[in-house]
Amino acid sequence: MKTYEIVIGLETHIQLNTASKIFCSCKADSWGAPPNTNICPVCSGLPGVLPVLNAEAVRKGALLAAAMHAEINPISYFDRKNYFYPDLPKGYQITQFDEPIGKGGYMDLRMPDGSERRVRIHKLHLEEDAGKTKIDRGERLVDFNRCGVPLVEMVTEPDLRSGEEAAQYLTQLRQLLRWIGVSEADMERGHLRCDANVSIREAGSSMLNTKTEIKNVNSIDAVRQAISEEAKRQIDAVEAGQRIESYTLDWDADTGTLRKMRSKETEADYRYFREPDLLPVVLTAAEIAAVQNSLPELPLARRARFIQDYQLSAYDAEILTSERGLSDYYEESVQLCGGAAKLVSNWMMNDLIRLMNDTGKSAAELRLRPADLAEIIQLVEGGKINPATGKSLLARVEAGAGKASQIVADEGLGLIADEDTLRQQIAAILEESPSEMQNFRAGKESLLGWFVGQVMRRTGGKADPKRTRELLLELLRQ
Amino acid sequence: MTPDYITPELFAKLVTLAALELTPEESEYLRTELNHQLAAVKELSEIKLAEGVQPSLHGLDCQGNPPRPDEWLPFPDSAAILALAPESNGEYFRVPDFRRGGEEAK
Amino acid sequence: MSSIQLSAYQIAQKVRAGLLSPLEVLEDHLKQIAAVDGVPGSLEPKTSDPAEESKVHAFIEVSADLARRQAEQVRARLERGEDPGLLAGVPVSIKDIFCVQGTTTTAASRILYNFRPPYTATTVERLAQAGALIIGKTNLDEFTYGSSSESSAFQPHPNNPWNTERVTGGSSGGSAASVAAREVPLSLGTDTGGSIRQPAAFCGVVGLKPTYGRTSRYGLIAFGSSLDCPGPLARDVRDAALMLQVLAGADPKDSTSAVAPVPDYLAALEEGVRGMRIGISPDYDHITYPDTLTGEMSIQAIQPEMNTSVRAVAEVLAQLGAEIVENVPMPNARHGIPAYFVISRVEAASNLHRFDGVKYGYRARKPALDLSELYRATRAEGFGLQPKLRILMGMYVSAAQHSAQYYQKALRVRSMIRSDFERAFDPNGAYRLDALLTPTTPTTAFRRGEVMGDSVLMQYSDQMTVAGNHAGIPAVSIPAGLDPQGLPIGVQFFGMDFREDIILRAAYAYEQATRDAEWRAVQPQALRGSEVKA
Ligand SMILES: [Zn+2]
Repeated sequence: MKTYEIVIGLETHIQLNTASKIFCSCKADSWGAPPNTNICPVCSGLPGVLPVLNAEAVRKGALLAAAMHAEINPISYFDRKNYFYPDLPKGYQITQFDEPIGKGGYMDLRMPDGSERRVRIHKLHLEEDAGKTKIDRGERLVDFNRCGVPLVEMVTEPDLRSGEEAAQYLTQLRQLLRWIGVSEADMERGHLRCDANVSIREAGSSMLNTKTEIKNVNSIDAVRQAISEEAKRQIDAVEAGQRIESYTLDWDADTGTLRKMRSKETEADYRYFREPDLLPVVLTAAEIAAVQNSLPELPLARRARFIQDYQLSAYDAEILTSERGLSDYYEESVQLCGGAAKLVSNWMMNDLIRLMNDTGKSAAELRLRPADLAEIIQLVEGGKINPATGKSLLARVEAGAGKASQIVADEGLGLIADEDTLRQQIAAILEESPSEMQNFRAGKESLLGWFVGQVMRRTGGKADPKRTRELLLELLRQ
Repeated sequence: MTPDYITPELFAKLVTLAALELTPEESEYLRTELNHQLAAVKELSEIKLAEGVQPSLHGLDCQGNPPRPDEWLPFPDSAAILALAPESNGEYFRVPDFRRGGEEAK
Repeated sequence: MSSIQLSAYQIAQKVRAGLLSPLEVLEDHLKQIAAVDGVPGSLEPKTSDPAEESKVHAFIEVSADLARRQAEQVRARLERGEDPGLLAGVPVSIKDIFCVQGTTTTAASRILYNFRPPYTATTVERLAQAGALIIGKTNLDEFTYGSSSESSAFQPHPNNPWNTERVTGGSSGGSAASVAAREVPLSLGTDTGGSIRQPAAFCGVVGLKPTYGRTSRYGLIAFGSSLDCPGPLARDVRDAALMLQVLAGADPKDSTSAVAPVPDYLAALEEGVRGMRIGISPDYDHITYPDTLTGEMSIQAIQPEMNTSVRAVAEVLAQLGAEIVENVPMPNARHGIPAYFVISRVEAASNLHRFDGVKYGYRARKPALDLSELYRATRAEGFGLQPKLRILMGMYVSAAQHSAQYYQKALRVRSMIRSDFERAFDPNGAYRLDALLTPTTPTTAFRRGEVMGDSVLMQYSDQMTVAGNHAGIPAVSIPAGLDPQGLPIGVQFFGMDFREDIILRAAYAYEQATRDAEWRAVQPQALRGSEVKA
């Protein structure tokens, strides 16, 4: 059996998180809205009305183009893509055809094995979403709520080589979209949708063979699984001497199977032409520069910097840059802790992330701000409280109990570092434990721990452990 | 004779693409008129374009409104839109679709 | 005296001064409609009563209740001491291609026979804001696709008030007829290839196609979106200027509407034509027309009175101090119709995609098993022949394999048509025109049924006007006499982008100078009956 290479290109539709739709003032996201309640004459295709472009959709589209290292087109155009379907109320979709907002570009992926792969972007353009239809006993029910939702359609070159790579692409794209704030990128809510073009070729060959298109692979697992299935099907077919036909396939996530939708042999003619109801989208050099300057440091760069500057492990850096809010939180906390990068990393990796999981909040949503975290860390490091108290304070500050130092003062959670108090406690313990004292003095120095434990017991754990140890040694050795 | 730019076969294809269906009389009339119009339009192919002539989209350069700010302003009467439907169930627009099984309507 | 004898300007002045009640004005005009209009256009016309043959049939729907409410509002505004607006109490008819909440908006097509839009076109909104009374919706060619108004699905179609055997022109035929027959002083029309100016010329009224973008297209059911222009039809130039004043200006709902400032058009009228340079072009004294059998283009003469009228108008203007510039070349004018056949059809076919029986309007009676059956049956039953023809033409010339040959080429030819005007109007060029004077139409109003059905001949009646739509520039058609059969002749001034004020000024100067011309005393046939006391 020959060895085959799988060639994959992904077409993603990204819902931009604007307040309003792309060509009308209806709410962009209809999540939870009853059907046909978030519509107006424009997005439901009534006659005589006209589209009016949303400036923020353009800005977010351009920002995404910048993040993909694409050239932002100073003049781009909207075109009409004409076809009949009941989810398309105008009978044409307003999209960008030959002069889209972004040209070229790429995204660098890091693979789990540490390698990197560059995925080139073939096309990046703005368009409006269509509505939704569903079949119900011999009739089709149509909901226009989703019509006119701003989308970026982004198509990669066939640069991916496995279902796993495709899954990585989607994972990292999703992270990037959230990172730069252009989309919520929630696949379950359809903010990020994916179709995959799959073909195979003999390893070492550079030709592109007939591909099939898998529609509706709308979760990361589905992408991984559907592509693997389809590649296997194609390999089996070729091995059996069959020809691969250009199909459109539908991924059924429930059964984990592919279903043939239609043959794609005859390509539809959409009769594209410039949308006469809209003017060209003109971005001045200053506007383009402003978009590019507003682009934050991207995850991959930040991850590298965290490893370099903060000496974090690759694993910690990965986690701490998984989300922009978390990485900002980290950097701010490090700064407030006087640059104690490793220390803050430990607190965040162990405790803060647990707190986020427990509360279901993102770093940015936590009531516990970096200043609070830094204060708690410093209380522990300064010996004012013990680590266990520190950890319990995280949850209490998050729950709204107030400032950490205030809680410590109010509730007497601070460690007893006062020498007279500690000396009194220790003297009492030595008096009660003559045999242990004798044993220690006879050389069984391991009993020190036992004495510390006694002090802790008497002080309810509040004795400063370092000072306690020093005083015990002093008094035992007298 | 006007050249047969649109043969009956091509005409039938156009009618399908246009989501129309025609009586034989309508087809006869429309195909004849199309061929007449295309005869008139043939003149275009003979026009020599001046150097560097760009396509014109609106004749003049529109000095239109800039893109609008991103504000949500709900349409006050979405129910009135649904009420225009030839058929609805009070929630959805309804269209007949008996034949669809697994195959996408095309 | 009935207020139907007054101009819009006079009505508004009197109403604003409290000398005339808006309700009285409305009743006068409703009475005139009842007298001359006959049965409104309908999908199921009654068996023909011969008396209806001589009626105007400008209207599809008379919105008397809406107009009465508006008249009441004008009265209330006056009583409260508020400004009732520039068009206070002026009845206005609206071509039934504009969406008006509270009316049925049919586009003269079965496919929209019951469409009641939940929104109002910006232009209509502005008219109402200015105190106009929206008295009804006028008939037109189905979806504006025609130059005679005969192709309406709502019959009877409008007849020319000057001679009801003749067509009104189109597609704003009902609008032009309603103004000519004094059913209204003003009407709102649309002009895509000449649809305001050609019927204005045929019906002996003033018709202004503004610069593309000067007036909002929001709420106008689209034909050729890059060409469509709402504009006024009126009985005199001042009324057209007054109405433009109300209509003009940027609209946030129309991205292509222009932000350019709106001048005071009425004030501009009085400035006269002294020193103005007015061009005449040899490329507008004939038409180039294809033989339907061979497709060969040949030069054909136009009705001789058209050219003599242009000369006569030029002479009057010259006497008023204008400089007439002869022999202005407009070499690309002849390409206007071929380019229009392509551009307008591509846009029209796409614009008609939305009529599918799913969302509004007509749905085929015939039960459908699936979507494509529903679409086909609905569109087959809902559209008349002209929309079907335009859809098929548009589909053909925009197909991927034909687009470069037809559509892309036509867009470049459009640039060349525009460049003719740029050269003529260039302030540093050889011609330095302020306006170009041409006939509006190749002939006066043709007979009913004479051209209907010949889509090529029908389209060529727009040859004199269509270049203005390609170029986006403004143009106004004004009456300039009657031909030997007593039919109105129109001449047209083309102007520079957003300089409606200049062409209105030239038109007004001519109109004022010929105020007492004999032909101006002749009334349209429809007004010569006993029911009208002129
Ligand atoms: Zn909307």
